[in-house]
Amino acid sequence: MRGRRSLSAGIILLIVGAFSRFALAEDGASPSLGPTALPTAAAVINAIVAAPGLVDYEGTKVITAVRGDRVETITVLESHKRPSSLRLEYLSPESVSGRLIVDDGTTAWQYEPSLHTVIQGPSFVNKAPDATLFAEGLGHYAATIEGTEEVIGRETIVLAMAPAATGLSRRLWVDRATGVILRSEERTAREGVVFTAFFTRISYSLNLPAPLFSFRLPAGVRSFSFYLGSDLASGPQQLQQQAGFSTRTPAVLPLGYRYRHGTVTRFGPVVAATTTYSDGMSSVTIFQTPTSRMGLPRAGEVIRLPQGQGRVVDLGHFRILTWESRGMRMAAVGPLPAAELALLAGGFDATP
Amino acid sequence: MSHGRLERQLSAYLDGELSADDAAEVRLHLSQCPRCQREVERLQVLKQVLGALPERDAPVNLWVSVREQLQQPRSSLWERWMESLRTLGLGRRPVAAAAAVAVVLVLIAVPLVRGRLDRLRAADLGVDVYLREHVLVSSGDPFADRSYLGLVIGDSNLALIGEPRRAKEER
Repeated sequence: MRGRRSLSAGIILLIVGAFSRFALAEDGASPSLGPTALPTAAAVINAIVAAPGLVDYEGTKVITAVRGDRVETITVLESHKRPSSLRLEYLSPESVSGRLIVDDGTTAWQYEPSLHTVIQGPSFVNKAPDATLFAEGLGHYAATIEGTEEVIGRETIVLAMAPAATGLSRRLWVDRATGVILRSEERTAREGVVFTAFFTRISYSLNLPAPLFSFRLPAGVRSFSFYLGSDLASGPQQLQQQAGFSTRTPAVLPLGYRYRHGTVTRFGPVVAATTTYSDGMSSVTIFQTPTSRMGLPRAGEVIRLPQGQGRVVDLGHFRILTWESRGMRMAAVGPLPAAELALLAGGFDATP
Repeated sequence: MSHGRLERQLSAYLDGELSADDAAEVRLHLSQCPRCQREVERLQVLKQVLGALPERDAPVNLWVSVREQLQQPRSSLWERWMESLRTLGLGRRPVAAAAAVAVVLVLIAVPLVRGRLDRLRAADLGVDVYLREHVLVSSGDPFADRSYLGLVIGDSNLALIGEPRRAKEER
């Protein structure tokens, strides 16, 4: 029985390897991530993007993230089923222990056993990267192959991604056979390493059981449903109509970033015109609310901006800058350094 | 000086109450305006008739009644308000009137208070809403770590239902 399983696993890996090679050859950038030649950066990136559609896996992952003035280490069981189902069982720290998230590619359910509560919302694994933006984004980063390393007994290609301007630099250890990222590291020029994630073990499969990725509501739970965004607006004018108040666009954007989409976010008394800008690799989201509808958020450290005071909440990977601009409560959220978000804020004040 | 203003000053002119310059101006105007000449004649006749009337003494108790009213203490705000209600026909049902006023005040005050509370609540919730929505959007970024995104979305969800994770750790 065990012999048959290992034979099946071998066949699966052969199929995955062949599929990866096909996908990369189709791109024409590189022949493969095969064992002989060191692949190009473009081939490795293509393999990363293709991996969720090629292989199922389940493994234990350890994440270390800077959150404000402290560093938090999180352990999670991560299971993935092709093409876009995800199951996350958080083991530690104690404050998240027992949290279960099941995402079937359409809906995400979060179960908090200690609160006997379920929160339902939109999927966060169903979004494939925008091909055009992704291709553009590659032009704004220097991607290099730094060699090969062994991670949990598997050969990985080490890919380094450095932004042409400011932003997050990444180093990724990509499984040579499957394209799955086994280890990642993100750093900023100022703070150094702000985020790491690595699998301490991983098992590949092409057939993880479907019931693992469907959620059944436990009896008697409190249940919430949070879908906060409206239909996507095609441009700033339509967004303005949907929001019911005038919105502004920034005079300048960080290098490589451009308008991706807009929506209106509503939650209780919060109504915000929301626009997302992306460089193909990372996103920045801008929220605008009239000051008559929203007081000054008190979260974060006070910083000085050219147009007055602002506040920054630093979550390591993400930063949130809030400020006031001519009758509007503004917020910018993204992986950019606070100084870059402040420049973006200044760009909004420059617009009429 | 306009014709209308000159016409209004004719009576003062006849009584000798105008300054020398104004009287000269009126006089010049009268020499050229037949209408005002007729008005002056009419006023002269009226003054003669009034001047011919005999003088009569005021009633003896007039000053007494005026003095009584002057010496009465001023009514309070409440009395004046009740007086206004009586004028409006609500004085006979003061409780109903007070209730009506209270309802009007509540109708005005509730939206104001509610708007203010909503504004404060929006400020409290804002950062968690922003973070959650940004993380959902950035799940389309090619190198986003989904376990970390799930953690951040989960924490924001808990904050939005009033059960923030950090508070739980402090317990």
